[in-house]
Amino acid sequence: MSEFVFATAQYESGDWDSAPLVPPNIIDSVARYTGIEVAPTGAIVPLSSSDLFRYPLVYATGHLPVRFTAAERANLRTFTERGGMLFVDDHNHDIDGAFHKTASEEIRAAVGPLVQLPNSHALYRAFFRFPDGPPATSHELNGWGDNLVHAHLQAVMHGDRVAVLYSNKDYSSEWGYHPDNKRFLSVDNTRFAVNIVVYALTR
Amino acid sequence: MLRVASVVLSAWMLRRSLAPLLPPVPSEAASPATLDAALARWTESAGLESLHVVLDSAPDARGLAWLASLRRAGATVTWSAPAIPATAIAVEPVNEPGGGERLLVAAPSGSVVEVRDGAGLLDTLRIVAAGGSVATTALEAPAAARVASQWARTAPRDSLIVRRVLVVGRAGWEAKFAIAALEERGWLVDARLRVAPTVEVTQGAPVAALDTARYAAVVALDSSVGPLAGRIARYVRDGGGVVLAGSAARVPALAAIAAGAPGARVRAASVSLAGTEPRRALGYYPIASLRREAVLLERSDGRTAAAARREGAGRVVQVGYDESWRWRMLGGPSGPADHRAWWSALVGSAAYRAATPLAARSPGAAPLAELVDALGAESAAPAPAAPVTTSRGVPGWMLALLFLCLFAEWTSRRTRGAA
Repeated sequence: MSEFVFATAQYESGDWDSAPLVPPNIIDSVARYTGIEVAPTGAIVPLSSSDLFRYPLVYATGHLPVRFTAAERANLRTFTERGGMLFVDDHNHDIDGAFHKTASEEIRAAVGPLVQLPNSHALYRAFFRFPDGPPATSHELNGWGDNLVHAHLQAVMHGDRVAVLYSNKDYSSEWGYHPDNKRFLSVDNTRFAVNIVVYALTR
Repeated sequence: MLRVASVVLSAWMLRRSLAPLLPPVPSEAASPATLDAALARWTESAGLESLHVVLDSAPDARGLAWLASLRRAGATVTWSAPAIPATAIAVEPVNEPGGGERLLVAAPSGSVVEVRDGAGLLDTLRIVAAGGSVATTALEAPAAARVASQWARTAPRDSLIVRRVLVVGRAGWEAKFAIAALEERGWLVDARLRVAPTVEVTQGAPVAALDTARYAAVVALDSSVGPLAGRIARYVRDGGGVVLAGSAARVPALAAIAAGAPGARVRAASVSLAGTEPRRALGYYPIASLRREAVLLERSDGRTAAAARREGAGRVVQVGYDESWRWRMLGGPSGPADHRAWWSALVGSAAYRAATPLAARSPGAAPLAELVDALGAESAAPAPAAPVTTSRGVPGWMLALLFLCLFAEWTSRRTRGAA
């Protein structure tokens, strides 16, 4: 049985590699809290590559405007149709920002429109329980970006399954630190990342 | 002397008059169009004692019952049919949520079979071995198969109630995509997926009772099913079905019901999941030490990849594959649909069949077999009968001889004194 590999999407426009510390931190949390066999290092997979289909959960982030190529768009459509899940986090935390506007438009064109994900969704109880929905980030609480605390995540749904999970909360900044520094936190703020991985592996 | 001759002659004549007359056996060819009239004629003919029918196709139920009645009435009815092909048809409901029926046809090797239902032609099969099958999603009864001029007809006898499926294993892509495949084919799936040693992600109701009233089958994806293994084995013996995938059969309680023992995992023999043999591009646990009664379902490069057996009242299907999700994600355009159909068929072949009777067995499904059942085995046609030249009557010369003997004996008595 193959181990879980956390994969980061590489797309041709923008800065896909703006949060290099997020994958190892999430891998650490999955290994720390669950019995899931997880590869110790993540993978980087071009969004236009057929290798994308080896990683049914893919993480994408960035600050800059996003313009998918035709190949990236077609691949992403097939990927989600076959059951893959794309987790996109806006590294700007700004609903008026360039990344949000362009990324959400590209997702709509490739997969479908984003809709609000209810805070009662199974994602919020897949492993840890988040009865109030997505946990707030320090960037939201500090008033950076759009100066909003986003109460919901968004998603493109295929039936009752999340095909694209979209966050304006800037988890890429929140989880972008070395895993050893978790010992300084009273509550591990990457626990929600474990829920995303477990949800992707089970639903 | 004359008295003795008269007595002997009388006895011989008496014996001859009582001896059974062996009439010629009437032999008559009959086709479906002429059989009814012939039956009526034979029934009305006085003194019918034996009959041989040469058939060019099997009689319908009415004709068979009529011939059997003649037989029960005392006539010796034999038959021969030089050209009736051994044909049979059965309808089997597909044990999957999508429903549909599978028409199973038996016919001689090399023959061409036309398969129809009430709405028209379904397919034409050329029989290679002893039979073939046709799948249909909406059968309009009755179903029929024709070989040459011989028809076999039947109707669905029951329908199935498809119950839920329980999927048990570790959280992972195999579990996710096996569940997705089954749900997309219409199965209602409960799941218990292990995420941590004491944490399970569950879907559906808690597994309070593992029985055929709730579950049609259990899918055990790997060896993490250990705590449930004993209950799964009992469930199978009571009539349930189980699919043992990957290394699941290594759990001792499941090894006891498995078709064989999982060997050391082998790597994929091919790199192309988009080819004509996509499962060759999947690693798997080959099934070694196959039990004597197990049925081999699939071989891959000389090793057993899938097998099945019965355990108690239930069924066990064992497959070595543990990464079938790659087929769905990396396969060709039909990969997702093929993966769905494969998983659904696996579960359907193991699943408990909760059947609701629709109709009693209908005649005509296996015409030749029904003919043999009603009239016995085929017998050779009798040789053409010679004209009847004998009768039960006693020849006149014999009576004259008897009269002469008696008259001579009387005369000898009357003339005995005169001499």
